[in-house]
Amino acid sequence: MKTNYLKIGLLSIGFGLLLLGSCKEEAYEIPKAKDGLQNDIIKRSLGPNVVGATIDFAYAAAILPDQGKLTSIAVEASIAGDEGTVLENKSYYTSSTGADVGVVVGDPATVNGNNMEVKFTKDTSASTLRYSYKIPAAAKGKSVTFTFRARSSNGQEVALKTEAYAIRNMDMALDLIGKDGAACFFSVADLKWYTATEAAANPDKIDLVYLYRALPTVTYAHSLVAPTTDASYLPSFTLPVGLTNKTKIVKAWTVRDQQLARLQYNVFVDDVDLKDKSFVDAPDFAINLKAESGIWLQTADGKYNAYVFVNSVNNTTKEMKVSVKRLQVK
Amino acid sequence: MKYTLFLIGMLFVSLSGCKDDYPMDEDGLLITTRSECYVSSFELLGADFQTVRTKAALVDTVEQTVKVEVLFGTDLKNLYPQFSLVTDAVLDPKILGKQDFSNLDTPREWTVVSGNRKVRKTYKVYLTVQK
Repeated sequence: MKTNYLKIGLLSIGFGLLLLGSCKEEAYEIPKAKDGLQNDIIKRSLGPNVVGATIDFAYAAAILPDQGKLTSIAVEASIAGDEGTVLENKSYYTSSTGADVGVVVGDPATVNGNNMEVKFTKDTSASTLRYSYKIPAAAKGKSVTFTFRARSSNGQEVALKTEAYAIRNMDMALDLIGKDGAACFFSVADLKWYTATEAAANPDKIDLVYLYRALPTVTYAHSLVAPTTDASYLPSFTLPVGLTNKTKIVKAWTVRDQQLARLQYNVFVDDVDLKDKSFVDAPDFAINLKAESGIWLQTADGKYNAYVFVNSVNNTTKEMKVSVKRLQVK
Repeated sequence: MKYTLFLIGMLFVSLSGCKDDYPMDEDGLLITTRSECYVSSFELLGADFQTVRTKAALVDTVEQTVKVEVLFGTDLKNLYPQFSLVTDAVLDPKILGKQDFSNLDTPREWTVVSGNRKVRKTYKVYLTVQK
């Protein structure tokens, strides 16, 4: 029995010493910079990659000052970016107020096919350049990769290739303004508002009618309805002849898609959301739509599913600004 | 020997703790002694999960009715009713998704079942649309 107590005692002391030993504070040392030209990359943008949107990166390169200076940074996209693609010639730092402040470090980027290159004009050994790739229509449904390269004055070159980013099949259109009594007929196929005259000329294209009414006894306000909806949902309105699309509509709230709304919410409508949305028993009207609300819709022919986000409404000018994501499903 | 007695004692304590004080229904909810059976409030949400009521629903626990006026332009086929019930009561049938209220002439019916599951009261829900 005594032997057991002795064993337990020794074991406890051993554990105690082990714990004390592990608590030893190690002095901090500034990490040593790696030898030679180094590079790294982060993707700055979130959400599905949609034609018309951007994929944003920050690419950093650095070399020890006694080994050389940066001479150029370049990026090659597997599919050439659309107009608006930019490799900035500024390196950013964050000011005391939290603002991004850019410092010019080189000439504006030169474009050569799928390549963009910034040649450094400032004496710098470390820099982070931003790259914003505007997704072109040619990339729809495909994948795109990017190869970033940095060169230094000592003749070194480093490169990083990103993963492949899938470009979605959906289309996106931003800030389309409908106006009651004027351009109030919306075509999902064309992603465009039409006037009554234009609607009469293309009746099969019209999927939605926008109306603003301040009615005395009921709340109608800003509404989107299908041309076929009940006459009570088209108050004081004469529909052009030939509009027969019975669009299926489902009201939505809190679907403040970041790419459509450009607000602080991290909500993204993706291809799969549009594809899988159910329109069983869906009505053909959405009455009293407010800013930051939206509607899911399916065109009468079942060809398109779409999400229409209401960016803003204006009671005075009787306007509604919408942004749309649309997927061809048939 | 002491340890053995201690363990046996603990076992008895554990077993007595598992004793069922109340029976449960098929949903795992306790069947209690409460016999109260009524709807305390009623909410109705649209497809966008926003209320479609124009004002508070009128719940009559004597007549066993709920009367609610909904906004002009409400999609009556796709509504989500929400009943608040007295403690321990349940609703029959359960509401598992959107409900169709489009037949305004025929009120939808739900039965409130008390906590002891012995009292059942059927409520009719009448909808009118703002005009």
